[in-house]
Amino acid sequence: MDTVGLWSLVRFAHVAGAALWVGGQLALSLVILPLARRMLEPEARDRFTARAGRRFGILTGAVFLPVQLATGWAMAWHKGVTWASLAEPGYGRTLATKLALFVLVMLAAAGHGIAHSKGRTEMARTLAVVSLVGSLGVVLLATALPAT
Amino acid sequence: MNIEQDGREPTGGRYPSRFRRSGLKARHLHAHIVVVAWLALALAAATAQQTLPVARWLAIHLFLLGAATTAIVVWSEHFAVALLHARLPDERWSDARLAGVNLAVAGVLIGVWADRPVLTGAACALLVTAVAAHLVVLVRMGRGALGGRLAPVVGFYRAAAVALIVGAALGGLLATGHAGARNYTGLRLAHVHVTLLGWIGLPVLGTLFMLWPTVLGVRMAERTTKVAPWALALTGGGLLTTVVALAAGWRWAAVAGVGLYVAGVGVAVELFARTVRRRSPVSAAAAWMLGAAAGWLLAGTVADGAILAARQPAEAQEGVGSLVPVLLVGFVAQVLIGALTYLLPVVLASGPKERAALRAVLERGWAVRVVTLNAGVALLALPLPDPAGAAGMVSAAAAGAAFLVLTASVLVRGAHRAGEGGSSRRPVLLGTAAGAVLTVLAVLVANSGGDTSGPAVAADAGSGGSSAARTVDVTLSGMRVRPSRIEVTRGTTLRLEVTNKDAQRHDLKVEDGPATPLLARGDDHTLDLGPVTEDREAWCTLPGHRAAGMTLDIVVKGSTGEDADAHDGHASLADSAGLDLSGEFSGGWRPRDADLAPAPGGTVHKAELRAAHTTVEVAPGVRQQMWTFGGTAPGPTLRGKVGDVFEITLVNDDQGMGHGIDFHAGSLAPDRPMRTIQPGERLVYRFRAERAGAWLYHCSTAPMLQHIGNGMYGAVVIDPPGLKQVDREYVLVSSELYLGTPGSTAQVTKMREGTPDAWAFNGVAAQYAKRPLTAKAGERARFWVVAAGPGDGIAFHVVGTVFDTVYKEGAHLLKPDQPGGAQVLDLAPAQGGFVETTFPEPGHYSFVDHDMRHAESGAHGTVEVSE
Repeated sequence: MDTVGLWSLVRFAHVAGAALWVGGQLALSLVILPLARRMLEPEARDRFTARAGRRFGILTGAVFLPVQLATGWAMAWHKGVTWASLAEPGYGRTLATKLALFVLVMLAAAGHGIAHSKGRTEMARTLAVVSLVGSLGVVLLATALPAT
Repeated sequence: MNIEQDGREPTGGRYPSRFRRSGLKARHLHAHIVVVAWLALALAAATAQQTLPVARWLAIHLFLLGAATTAIVVWSEHFAVALLHARLPDERWSDARLAGVNLAVAGVLIGVWADRPVLTGAACALLVTAVAAHLVVLVRMGRGALGGRLAPVVGFYRAAAVALIVGAALGGLLATGHAGARNYTGLRLAHVHVTLLGWIGLPVLGTLFMLWPTVLGVRMAERTTKVAPWALALTGGGLLTTVVALAAGWRWAAVAGVGLYVAGVGVAVELFARTVRRRSPVSAAAAWMLGAAAGWLLAGTVADGAILAARQPAEAQEGVGSLVPVLLVGFVAQVLIGALTYLLPVVLASGPKERAALRAVLERGWAVRVVTLNAGVALLALPLPDPAGAAGMVSAAAAGAAFLVLTASVLVRGAHRAGEGGSSRRPVLLGTAAGAVLTVLAVLVANSGGDTSGPAVAADAGSGGSSAARTVDVTLSGMRVRPSRIEVTRGTTLRLEVTNKDAQRHDLKVEDGPATPLLARGDDHTLDLGPVTEDREAWCTLPGHRAAGMTLDIVVKGSTGEDADAHDGHASLADSAGLDLSGEFSGGWRPRDADLAPAPGGTVHKAELRAAHTTVEVAPGVRQQMWTFGGTAPGPTLRGKVGDVFEITLVNDDQGMGHGIDFHAGSLAPDRPMRTIQPGERLVYRFRAERAGAWLYHCSTAPMLQHIGNGMYGAVVIDPPGLKQVDREYVLVSSELYLGTPGSTAQVTKMREGTPDAWAFNGVAAQYAKRPLTAKAGERARFWVVAAGPGDGIAFHVVGTVFDTVYKEGAHLLKPDQPGGAQVLDLAPAQGGFVETTFPEPGHYSFVDHDMRHAESGAHGTVEVSE
């Protein structure tokens, strides 16, 4: 397809969603939270980080995750990916691995929320970084897939 | 390189107090983080063995070359300083050497993984350089140093460094293919021995002289100072003998060398056994592990000697290969775990209390781990059926992973305490490491099993309408893939039944396609390549095997011609005969006129023939470069009467090669007129046709098989006296068609084997099936036929008619007034003649070469007879 059509829009939504989600994580982890830790009083800091994390979590659950899943599923359908083809070396296996890594990243992100709510700060931060690095891994695998 | 000129004040105190300086401690910490990272990657590669072709090699080298080498470089320097009471080498240079080693290791691993021999070679050179620098430091450290009772132990470290230099050089030769197929087995065995028994075995053995009593908490035996040099002389000398003998192919010298090595290990183990006292050791865990490891080294080397003695080198490779996991896990991994269990608390803790705490962490569940590990090694070592080996691997890996977790937690504690305010970094460090490991694992899985271009490409190829399928038996042995070349027609669905008949393991990976797992001797595996639409290569992915010649070319027939792809739409379709003769010729194509005009008037016929390369459509949709006389294949047909003189001027317009010409119709000395003329030259060939017949002319330059096979032929028709006029006269020159680049090995092979891609009348397969000759009912037709070959004759037949006249090789075999009839004009290569028939009624009369292989592959046409 050489023109901007429906599938370009689907792909755009998928790529933009991934960029915004990973970018959001990066901004939170590298810019906003370190600044908050440094500049705010302990009590305000805890409230701020909790709220910020929660809001990003809601955004993820309400927007990013549904968009990624829907557009990803649509593109797989469009490309004729079957369950059997996911096991085949090459495209199928790369896609399957990407999905598996995505699931792990989501589990880490969810674990981050749980750990944070239980006050296990170090565990929460560890899981946040795992999620962030893993997301970059998902993007790496996505770039290995040929264009739809 | 002034390594020892560090400008720092030597403290002159006891080594441990200097060691506890936080800078040195941090360096050890960093080095061990690198070791743990290599170990984790090795475990990851080991778990992916079934899916990654080079996983076994990667796992072994990540472990030995990555983890063990880093640990040995760090600790041998550390112990050398302690044992020699020498000054600490310059910290920056030490860091540089360690970085050099790790960079080189990464380069080797990536080079082999990505199949980049240049990178592998460069990395091996860097490794040799870095280890040579390490050796220089160890040697210079001994000069002028006070030297302690155990100074001879440093000799083990020096010998080990030499062993790694040799091992890296041999490994480089093997991985880059410079070892060659003939020397491969011996050099590989030498490489395995010098690295495993030299680089790993010697320093471990040397260190045990000191570490063993320390771990046991007893005084060193008095005899140690005498035994250690003996052990070094025996093991080092034995190893040198073994390596030289293996590389040179001297089997019994190699066995003797291993025997010396075993004797050296035996001397040391005997001393260690006598050192054991009935006192509880400082670290029981470390003691048990080191003891078990020494036991596996002894057992492994004894088995090694037995294997070398019992089998020829090619077979011995398999046996020695199966010993590697045993030595790797039972000896190397166990020594590493045991030593670190004792040493890490010593180097990381700042006081006895903390040391005890760290040791308690590292010794958690040690008895279970020791039993699991050694049971696993025993399962690996014993010749048990398959599940036992896998179970052994899993149980050994579980024990190793458990220790890794404990070490990581100890290192994290250390990192936690090493830096002020380090607590904020810990989650980042851990998270990044975990995320990176996840990503690396994901990429390894994603890349496993070869990559294909995706379902879209496969679907495109599949919709090409090809139906042919072919299964080929492929064997791997002697560093060769047999057959080394498979030719298929475009679109053929290809299956390879791959069997390894070699003593050593191999696999086969198809470029952009599937790969077999590693196959042991006798194992087989089927590779489905799907429809093959372009040339592909397959090779064994084991380091160096491809470079040594283990490759297989899968060649699509006809794909080498420069123009074959220009009409892909047609050419890519293939039937079982090779070409799709039912396809359409491209627009603008015209058939070669088969009508033969009467002989021109006059008795001297002059013509000019230019020899050149011409690209023509030789079958529907298939263009092919031909070598031509006068721009066509066959060249122009010349006609005359008995006694006529032909004066042919041959001009060689071909820039690349010489040509000549040979007219069978003339009788003369070949010397001058049939000589080869070079590009740009001219030649006048004059002959008198003194006898009637249908004659061949062809290029007279060697190799004539290629010159004729590529199109340099034509017909001369000399009418017999009194030849009656008929309604229609046709000339048909039969020939074979060989596609591909003219003169290429592939094309010439087909010519030599007599397996043309098609047969043709007047140079183009099936042209008269597409554009029939025309005639009218009741008309009398004469078919002049000349068989040009180069290899095949013809059995010319016209379906639905009988011949009442047959003229062959200068004589009438049948005339109309005779009662008999003929069905075939049979001509051997270079023979000619004519047949006559009358078409009884309108219809489509096929004419064929009645050799049906030829007819079905292009040597057929139609005469369309109208009212």
